[in-house]
Amino acid sequence: MQGTLAINLARIAIIVAILALWEVLSRTGIVNPRLLPSASDTFATLGDLLRRAAVQKDLMVTATEVLTAFALAVPFGALIGFLVAENRYFADVAKPLLFFAFSIPKSIFLPMFILVFGVGFAQKVGFGFFSTIFIVIMSTTTAVESVKVEHLTVARSYGATPWQTAFRVYLPSMLPVLLEALRISMIFNLTGVILAEMYASRDGIGHQIATWGENFQMKQLLAGVVMVAAIAMTFNELVRWVETRCSHWRT
Amino acid sequence: MQPLANVTPLKPAARAGAIEVKNVGQVFKTRSQDVVALEDVSLEVKPGRFVVLVGPSGCGKSTLLMMMAGLRQQTAGTITISGAPILQPDPDRVGVVFQEASLFPWLTAEDNVEFPLALRGVPKAERRAKAQDALKLVGLDGFGRRHPHELSGGMKQRVSIARGLVQDPPVLLMDEPFAALDEQTRMTMGDELLRIWAATGKTVVFVTHSLTEAVYLADEVIVMSARPGRIVDHLQVQLPRPRTYEMLSGDAFGSLRDRIWRHIRKSA
Repeated sequence: MQGTLAINLARIAIIVAILALWEVLSRTGIVNPRLLPSASDTFATLGDLLRRAAVQKDLMVTATEVLTAFALAVPFGALIGFLVAENRYFADVAKPLLFFAFSIPKSIFLPMFILVFGVGFAQKVGFGFFSTIFIVIMSTTTAVESVKVEHLTVARSYGATPWQTAFRVYLPSMLPVLLEALRISMIFNLTGVILAEMYASRDGIGHQIATWGENFQMKQLLAGVVMVAAIAMTFNELVRWVETRCSHWRT
Repeated sequence: MQPLANVTPLKPAARAGAIEVKNVGQVFKTRSQDVVALEDVSLEVKPGRFVVLVGPSGCGKSTLLMMMAGLRQQTAGTITISGAPILQPDPDRVGVVFQEASLFPWLTAEDNVEFPLALRGVPKAERRAKAQDALKLVGLDGFGRRHPHELSGGMKQRVSIARGLVQDPPVLLMDEPFAALDEQTRMTMGDELLRIWAATGKTVVFVTHSLTEAVYLADEVIVMSARPGRIVDHLQVQLPRPRTYEMLSGDAFGSLRDRIWRHIRKSA
């Protein structure tokens, strides 16, 4: 336990050092404070922004888009991934194609999404969905493949029904990989939606960040960056916490 | 197998645990040819006997065991357990103990043992009581809360045996259960298995590669040849029980082991 404590202290020390360096560079004028407002100014601005109704509304818009895209992409992708993994023929046909699709940077399709969906909710959700689904499909395939044949045979020898096999063997076997997939999918999803907002939008936190950047409002811009980063990290850590609780046996 | 003249036929009620394999064959169809894995295999196991199947790799001994468990269908012949044909897995009649790594790593030892009962909706309290009894029987009293990764190889196989016994089936089928264990643990587990067998009176069919293990454990050893898998010998092991380590170096033990070895060398 002492080791963990020491490691945690080291981590905190690094974060403090970075914040201190940021503050010093800006305060002393080594870096132009108009380009890099100090850490304390940035956090003060962040507090102001969070109290503003307009910003709160933007956060809500983005959250709705992100969650909608996520709620569509995860079950849909998981279903496809499951079918691909369970059907030999389907797997042989589809797997290389999925790898091809996964390798393409999704951002190049953004103009097409605007042409098809216009600028608005559907465009963000559509692009978020598109950015996420491939990683969900591929992770689910991996998760299904992590189910051991021996375990399925054991279930069969004790007369398990298909439902029992699904809930008592497939699900627990796949859970650690699935949670990891969920976490990584969210990173792709958030990136997709915010990119869509920054590219063409009337609202959303991505749109705000782009606007602050164009107007050279550095304090707001940095505060926006810190805000989104904090939200993303919180979600990530939350799932990671569940992950470690569910996969203690994977050692 | 011809029944001996001086043995009175068993009444149906007394046939619990009897296994009858009649003219069983298994043919795998591949694109280029048909592979005969088993050909005309017949054998009879009386209730409460400890029977070991040995033979070179690919002789179909595990296949035969999986067919007895109802996990695989033969392409010819019939298999009867406790007087009724076995067409699909039937945990009331047959418990199966697999090779290593068949425990669910996300469940504790007692939850693993309870698994077959949980599938049939046995109430929690009854399940737990039965699992405790089974764990006690295999010498794992007090280890129920551990996960498989916290147990040694021998302990894991004890849990597997407890899982096979928890529904109290008359027949226990064991597919090379000790193959992954080190020699020392393997010997101990052999003695433990014989103790459990004596305490429960189950019919045991045990598949192994090890000739020493076969002779040490068995009442009867069935020797199989490879491609096509056939029974080439059926030995009665007349060594007294309990078996002891000293018997391993005795003449009776040696000659039985040599006889099996000659068959295997011939077919390999």
